[in-house]
Amino acid sequence: MADGADKVAARIADVAADCGISLVASLPDGWITQLITRFASDPRFRHVSVNREESAIGLCSGAFLSGTGAFALMGASGFLTCIYAITKINYTYQIPLLIGITLRGRPGDHAKFHQSNGLYLEPVISAIDLPFIPIERADDIPALATAHRHSRVMSRPVVVGFTRALLRGEA
Amino acid sequence: MRFEDCFRLLAERLKHDVIVTSAGNCSELWWEITGETERVFYLEASMSLASMFAAGIAIGAPERTVVAFSGDGAFCMNPGMLLVERQLALPNLKHFMVSNRCYGSTNDLAHPFGDFVDYGGMALAAGIDRVYAFSTIEGLAQGVDDMLRVPGHAFGVLEVEPLGRHLPSPPLDGPEVKFRFGRYLERTGGRPVFDAPLKIK
Repeated sequence: MADGADKVAARIADVAADCGISLVASLPDGWITQLITRFASDPRFRHVSVNREESAIGLCSGAFLSGTGAFALMGASGFLTCIYAITKINYTYQIPLLIGITLRGRPGDHAKFHQSNGLYLEPVISAIDLPFIPIERADDIPALATAHRHSRVMSRPVVVGFTRALLRGEA
Repeated sequence: MRFEDCFRLLAERLKHDVIVTSAGNCSELWWEITGETERVFYLEASMSLASMFAAGIAIGAPERTVVAFSGDGAFCMNPGMLLVERQLALPNLKHFMVSNRCYGSTNDLAHPFGDFVDYGGMALAAGIDRVYAFSTIEGLAQGVDDMLRVPGHAFGVLEVEPLGRHLPSPPLDGPEVKFRFGRYLERTGGRPVFDAPLKIK
């Protein structure tokens, strides 16, 4: 499993680097440990561990204005704490941002405390009209670049959601 | 010290730097004093994130000094920002925290924490080496250049009196702030920000 997860993390990092991302701000979720480790150890990126997910939104949004490609990476629960920051900073000023989250709470996630994400995560994303692209299989990883490009075209954030199976290298 | 006096002095000392102002009095007063529309990002919609936003700019513009202003209300919402600032240790990031002990954007409603919290002490405890506290205009005039011009991340507390009056927000919509600011950075030697360069013949 670890080997598969590492390969997936490497592919995600490659796609991110190819589309000009050089700054990654993250807060952990158990599903993205290997992905965060990958970004933190890859010299193509400056990885910043933030104190809370909203700080990643602020940091990456500012980075846009200095011409720095940025990726905010976090768990689903942390993402739900960012609604204010996204709607105020990114919507008010029309600042693009690529946000990566875990698709917690989907069938197969055994954590009871994440089931609320299964119920409310995608409806909340939809409620604020945030473009959302699920990354469910390894063949979907190039869509990360599409999401990044789309964010810049529409001058708003775009969210990509990673499934557990993908991140474990099983899909 | 008087809030207006403090900002007037800083406006004189920050003639060429990039500035991010947080919501409420910081944005409103800076606008009233300077009328600046290009090198200031009036981040009026951002409870507690002005210094993170400024840090993002500073990362990609190491040749510039980037100055962030936070209010004490914003600071108390997210004091963990200090930990991220310490981790980043950006030599070109200067963060002023304005302590007026009230919520200036909401009719000066009392903000009780400043009466017993040592904000500078919090910054030192977070591992930030260069911490300043200014409570008089004379002290600010004497010490602020050290904070601003000596390379290295620095955090400064500005102890000011409540403004005591309502000011209008800068008359700029969000996208206008973004484009004016981003084009200014591009025009003055920064990396390309927008996909399409603006070429004026």
